Amino acid sequence: MTIQDYRADALRCTRCAYCKWVPLDLMKSWRFSKGCPSVEYGKFHSYSAGGRLITSLSLMDGRSTVTDKVKDSVFMCNMCGSCDVACKVCRYDMEPLLAMHALRAKLVEDGDLPEAFQPMLESLRKDYNTMGEPHERRGDWAKDLGVKDLTKTTAKYVFHAGCRYSFDGEQSEVARTAVEILKKAGVDFGIMGAAESCCGGKAFSIGVDQQLHNSADHNLAAWKKAGVDTVITPCADCYYAFKRLYTKHAGSTIKVVHMVELLDQMVTDGRLKMTNPVPMKVTYHDPCHLGRQGEDYVPWDGVEKKIFGQAVVYDPPRPRYNGAFGVYDAPRNVLKAIPGVELVEMERIKEGAWCCGAGGGAREAYPKFSEWTAGERIEEAESTGADALVTACPWCERNFIDAVRGTKGKLEVLDILQLVAMAL
Amino acid sequence: MEISRDAYRAIEDIVGTENVTDDPAFLDSYAFEWLAELVRPNRSHYMPRPWAVVMPASTREVQAVTKVCNKYKIKIKPISTGWYHWAAPMKDNEPTVQLDLRRMNRIIDIDEKNRFAIVEPYVICAQLQAEAMKLGLNCNIIGAGSSTSVVASACAYFGGGPSSHYMGNNSDNLLGQEWVTPVGKVVRTGSLSSGAGWFCSEGPGPSVRGVTRGNLGSRGGLGTYTKCAIKLADWPGPTEFEVKGRPPGYRLPVGENFRAYTIGAPNWDAWANCYYAIYDNGLGYIFHRQLNLAGANLATALWLTYIDPTKTLNDVETLAKDPEIIAINEKARISFQLILAAQSVDGIQLQDKILDQILSQTGCYKVERYCQQDMAEFTNMYMQRLGHKHCNFIWAGGYMGSWMQAGTPDFVKGYVPTAIKGFEEDQQSHLLVECGGDALMGCGSTLGGGGYFGLEQFVSYDPASDASIDACIKHMEDAIADCVAQGLPLGKELLYLQIGWSDQRIWDGMAKAPQTFVLDFQRQFKEAVDPNSLGDRNYPWLPEKWGQAPAQAK
Repeated sequence: MTIQDYRADALRCTRCAYCKWVPLDLMKSWRFSKGCPSVEYGKFHSYSAGGRLITSLSLMDGRSTVTDKVKDSVFMCNMCGSCDVACKVCRYDMEPLLAMHALRAKLVEDGDLPEAFQPMLESLRKDYNTMGEPHERRGDWAKDLGVKDLTKTTAKYVFHAGCRYSFDGEQSEVARTAVEILKKAGVDFGIMGAAESCCGGKAFSIGVDQQLHNSADHNLAAWKKAGVDTVITPCADCYYAFKRLYTKHAGSTIKVVHMVELLDQMVTDGRLKMTNPVPMKVTYHDPCHLGRQGEDYVPWDGVEKKIFGQAVVYDPPRPRYNGAFGVYDAPRNVLKAIPGVELVEMERIKEGAWCCGAGGGAREAYPKFSEWTAGERIEEAESTGADALVTACPWCERNFIDAVRGTKGKLEVLDILQLVAMAL
Repeated sequence: MEISRDAYRAIEDIVGTENVTDDPAFLDSYAFEWLAELVRPNRSHYMPRPWAVVMPASTREVQAVTKVCNKYKIKIKPISTGWYHWAAPMKDNEPTVQLDLRRMNRIIDIDEKNRFAIVEPYVICAQLQAEAMKLGLNCNIIGAGSSTSVVASACAYFGGGPSSHYMGNNSDNLLGQEWVTPVGKVVRTGSLSSGAGWFCSEGPGPSVRGVTRGNLGSRGGLGTYTKCAIKLADWPGPTEFEVKGRPPGYRLPVGENFRAYTIGAPNWDAWANCYYAIYDNGLGYIFHRQLNLAGANLATALWLTYIDPTKTLNDVETLAKDPEIIAINEKARISFQLILAAQSVDGIQLQDKILDQILSQTGCYKVERYCQQDMAEFTNMYMQRLGHKHCNFIWAGGYMGSWMQAGTPDFVKGYVPTAIKGFEEDQQSHLLVECGGDALMGCGSTLGGGGYFGLEQFVSYDPASDASIDACIKHMEDAIADCVAQGLPLGKELLYLQIGWSDQRIWDGMAKAPQTFVLDFQRQFKEAVDPNSLGDRNYPWLPEKWGQAPAQAK
């Protein structure tokens, strides 16, 4: 889709600025009332979803050109989708997040991608990961775990660790824990090891759509060859890419499960018994790609039509993605099942969660903004009195860990799998 | 058009490089405004572009920037949350600096004992309400919803909303303001100016409230309001909303000392009598004709679709033909929403008894389906937070409000048939949303205690369609013609259209007002506080000798 496809959305935007706030019904305080990290940091309206719709329109109408400031306003954004949820409370069928993606893609196509993204893209092209690491080392994290190598054999499930867990030594333990849990549960799974490729989601989020296609082609072919029908991942970014983007852009039919969904299921059916008390007060951060953007993709190919004269609908009816059906309960169910854990909620949760700051390429290209965004969340987590901030995405964790270190704070940052491991 | 480099640098020196821009795309994000397409040449969605956007962080910075603007003769247009076409500069080719006040976003104080809050311009109603509720207090949220600036509604625009009947209009709730005049003087009004705090807008100290804001407000046309104190009301509910449900149809459980009703009336006479009885008996924490914004023919189908997160607007079409829905819709055709609140269960039970008696005496009734748990909780959420106010735009992306002349229920009832008939006729073009002639919405009273309000016709059009835009403009002109034919004052459509008119045309119209000496006085006031004419025409005035001569003393 191009920015022209969202021209009507832009013309129908009324600059109401709902996109800047959490859904107004959910607002509980002045301090934590904001929804959009980008406009809170960049301040000018152009840094909001509504502002970007107008930028698209202004570029289409030839009223302005792409300057460095415009590039920053387009790319200094986590693509977290908070705006999308808040907008659709009233504007129902507007698609600000998709329109923002189209604007990014246009700038990429026109050669206006900020230079700061290049190292990550180069790493993707050369080594199929976002981390600047040699691809041969991708499976090293699992070397001594005795996991099936699906380049050599077959299995029903593939465990996809993702770039962060594969290469970030401080975080790889989470993937190892996941593998141990899967083994104990008797799941027939394997990994692709060095043949695993980045999901491509991060490149797609900055508008480099081709990279998603490359990754999807590679991963889907490898999984097919290995007889896989379900991919399990502990990474929210990968989950979103496989569940939503691969389905939409690569016609994937593979089943996608996040580890927290599997854990929840295992708790429910008694396969996971957590008996060790973990006396800890924790708060849970909903990763954007698991929460509000984690809804099932429903294929749709249709057109706008009008009823009652001018009311805008779609033929056939167009699925709505507004965060109503994200993965919110599974992680909370797991946390509640851990003996000794007390879950205290932050003000902005579920579809109204504040982003960790890592998404949309912000961590790579706008590190100060990314760190500030994480810092805001840390402050919110601390306000609950929690000992630990728990999440289910390595990118969130990394950003939070760095932010806590930056402030020398005491809040512990954990993946939900680490907490589960303590309870086993 | 470019601001002079000297002026730009001087402003940069005040607010910092990162807080000023003249990038064309950034400027367009301020020029693009709701309703522009109804008044601008070639249905352009852009109002005139500001020459720069500046984000001051304090009154001192506003003052300093204002002084630079005076030096370089640049007009000043402040905005807070910033929507409506009049939030943008008014004229092409006129150097204007847009002051975006979003960095001035603090709740400075909530005085619990004396029940008022002091806020900066970028504090929105939802933020203030959330903080006030922690202290057992609440604020009047204006009809445009809780995403709007408290300062803007109190100091610079009409401040009525669904809770004004109980909590007062924000024009009344304004207890004092800090105002940077167009020449850069800081004026503190009322008790604030005598160092006695913010408790009173009328003194000891100067009161300029009537002149600077009047009924409608100067809408950014007379300098910058940098702080205000606003009166708060009691809040007998919990310290924070425990919201249920999935988006978009969030729900707020109705507490044991609350009620959320939709009241139906068999005819407009009964409806008006019911309003009077509600006033007389002091009922109603929130009192508003809200859900009818979707149009009386479609409202039930729309809201039952909206509160179900699995549905889409396509479902409205099917639902609207369902005989059961049609029957409910007829019961709700002439209806309004009423939220009751009391400090105790006994109190709410008494209110219930009184309401039941009013309903029995006036022939009105509770609309059963709307009072069932799902719709009652949705109604409660909608009315308490007003976070769904932009459902105004749900049909087609465009909405314009016509009519809205205010008066007593009998006065309003008098123009309802004309407003309905005219809107029905205009819908026959199929270029407006065909929701029925009655999409009339408005507060139960914009006067604290009741007695005075208006109904606004919600005209939904598609701003992405030139034909639909034209149909909306035609409706505005038709509404004006209907008013003129009936000898009624003109409504909101005129207010909107005037933004696109020349000064000459506006003044010609104003000169026909019954008491033009007020506008003559306002000109003199403007000349005193804005000698370089850096404000804009949203502050109304008439050139010398344009209207009638002032009445002579006898």
